Amino acid sequence: MSLLASASASGQVSGTAPGSGDVTPSRKRRFGIEQRRNVTGWVFLLPAAALILLMNFYPMAQAFILSLKTGRGTRLNFADPLWYNYQRLMQDETFKLTVQNTFIYLIVQVPIMLVLALILANLLNDKNLRFKGLWRTAIFLPCAVSLVSYSLVFRTMFSTDGLVNDMLMGLHFIDSPINWLGQTGTARLVIILGLLWRWTGYNMVFYLAALQNLDYSTLEAARIDGAGSWRTFWHVTVPQLRPMILLTAIMSTNGTIQLFDESWNLTQGGPAYTSMTMSHYLFELSFQKNPNFGYGAALSYVILIMVALLAAIQMKVGDKRD
Amino acid sequence: MNKLRKFAALALVVPLSIALAACGGNGTASAPASTSAAASGPKSGTLTVWCWDPTFNIYAMNEAAKIYQKDNPDVKINVVETPWDDLQTKLTTLAQSQETKQLPDIFLMQNNAFQKNVINYPDLFKDYSQSSVDFSQFPQGVTAYSTVDGKNYGLPFDNGTAITALRTDVLKEAGFTIDDFTDITWSDFLAKGKVVKEKTGKPLLSGQAGSADMIMMMLQSAGASLFDAEGKPTISNNAALLKAIDTYQQLVKAGVFAEVNSWDEYVGSFVNSNVAGTINGVWIMGSIQSAKDQSGKWAITNLPKLDGVDGATNYSANGGSSWAISSNANYELASDFLAKTFAGSKELYETILPSSGALANWLPMAESSVYAAPQKFFGDQAVFKKVIEFSQQVPKNNTGAYYYEGRDAVSAAITKIVNGTDPSAALDEAQKAVEFAMK
Repeated sequence: MSLLASASASGQVSGTAPGSGDVTPSRKRRFGIEQRRNVTGWVFLLPAAALILLMNFYPMAQAFILSLKTGRGTRLNFADPLWYNYQRLMQDETFKLTVQNTFIYLIVQVPIMLVLALILANLLNDKNLRFKGLWRTAIFLPCAVSLVSYSLVFRTMFSTDGLVNDMLMGLHFIDSPINWLGQTGTARLVIILGLLWRWTGYNMVFYLAALQNLDYSTLEAARIDGAGSWRTFWHVTVPQLRPMILLTAIMSTNGTIQLFDESWNLTQGGPAYTSMTMSHYLFELSFQKNPNFGYGAALSYVILIMVALLAAIQMKVGDKRD
Repeated sequence: MNKLRKFAALALVVPLSIALAACGGNGTASAPASTSAAASGPKSGTLTVWCWDPTFNIYAMNEAAKIYQKDNPDVKINVVETPWDDLQTKLTTLAQSQETKQLPDIFLMQNNAFQKNVINYPDLFKDYSQSSVDFSQFPQGVTAYSTVDGKNYGLPFDNGTAITALRTDVLKEAGFTIDDFTDITWSDFLAKGKVVKEKTGKPLLSGQAGSADMIMMMLQSAGASLFDAEGKPTISNNAALLKAIDTYQQLVKAGVFAEVNSWDEYVGSFVNSNVAGTINGVWIMGSIQSAKDQSGKWAITNLPKLDGVDGATNYSANGGSSWAISSNANYELASDFLAKTFAGSKELYETILPSSGALANWLPMAESSVYAAPQKFFGDQAVFKKVIEFSQQVPKNNTGAYYYEGRDAVSAAITKIVNGTDPSAALDEAQKAVEFAMK
């Protein structure tokens, strides 16, 4: 949450920054009123700010200190050297594997999902489409389903005697059931399919909202100039959606790097850790195996650094405003 | 958004628990009701208990309460339903934050997790070796799970003795009886399993792919373990383990053992008559008996033993749980309660067995007439008596604090071996993984 908050907040801040510049000249003239306004503003901000400080930033600082400690359970001591846990992560084969898995999900799933969401949003934005509300609801609905229950349904569907195998066998595509969740490649595929199903509609809603704010005259102008629907989409719609695409890309990257439920519920990380995500490994280290909270905290900081780096890169690449 | 929130919750628990630790100060809190118990005579007070299964251990605890209240009407037992995963998380959080005041008096713990918790969080547990509970009346193999440095921290509750349960009607079709599968070796089992598969098309066993349960049962049957007495991992060059994995592979290859993906599929495989038997802890009988139409068609026997392994036996165990007394408990009352119920009441076990299938580890029950009663579902075999007899012969095995690390590493190794990696290389890798985890 805190990561999302800071990422999206900074996105918005840069968006509103030009406006705030105008206030400065008038500030000096009406000092008293301005100051009073400021105080009122801060008073309103204070409760939320204090809560965020206490509930988000304080634990984050504590977690960082924790990540410098080592030991099992309650017998924690400062590690020697202090960055021991981080060093250890670099040698941890299981951790490397989970990083690899997570990035496979990220690289394969996020682009497909965002493109799909963009296309769907455009289709559903058509002024002449009938039953628009129905389609939108249907595509958004997966997002209202609990992560755990959809994972369990997917697991049942993809079990050896599940719906998918029965269908494929009924259609004579395959002769014997595929062990979807028991093989590395197919297990990852099922997780990616699940993610697509669950999150495409969610991102589509962002694009739909952005499309509502799009000046219709720009589209009309393009059409009058003789642009086909593809050119209109690519050269007129997409550039105007760029801030929203950036936002969804950052959020999806965040979400995927912190992926937990699907890995936990669908495959339990198996077979042989090849579908386990970093967050799942972090949970396992802290709560399932011999509790190693220092090491777990170090892992969480590595995830944080990855998210921050990727978000920074995306902002750099995606934000073309001067 | 939701997945972010999930993660955030996770990330919060870690630092929060530390924050709490700071606030908690010294955890030597006085137990609220610990002084009220008198040395003798009827006792009074309330015992809070955490356990997880309404039809099984919660039911048993409530029955125990009724029995204890006959002599001690002023004692109340307050059972709080706490699923095992939650219980483990709660214990971890309470221990990290040193909020031991919030512990219940008694809680149930999976046998395989016992060592890990006692070793990591000794301040959660109360050593009750010196209490009125007679631990010698339980099989050594079972009390070993909850014994650390010679001190008893747990009273064994449900029995995890392993059984081989087979469909006698299917065996008959293939020309066998249950006796052909009693006191045999795995190579016998494999040969006979092939015949059954050929004649009836049914595998004898099934299990979750990538799960090490079967291997762990084979290992324990030979008194072997993934760890030595000092707790060092002994995964590479472990003859019993190699033999167990080899046996497992042969079973799978011959189609005698069908691999499935989830627990539900596993249970479904024998409930739907797709598989003609199973090997597991005795608690699997509950699932077997859910197929009412198969009444009278099942029988149980002991396990096959590993060929050519020193100390191999026909007996093993999987799972089971034990009652722990917390450091926050009203110790006098809690230990007296357990001594007079789970370690001293035939009536209790005779009540809970027929209605919930909760089989005792308490050895005096072997002579009970209820336990000797033939069970119709199992072709009038006196199955419970048999299991208690098996349980006395289960070799002790050392789970160690790193049991779950070891088991998961071996699970991963099995997956790799089935996909063609050389067994000893895969086990060396597993050994390294566990050694790394223990660093």
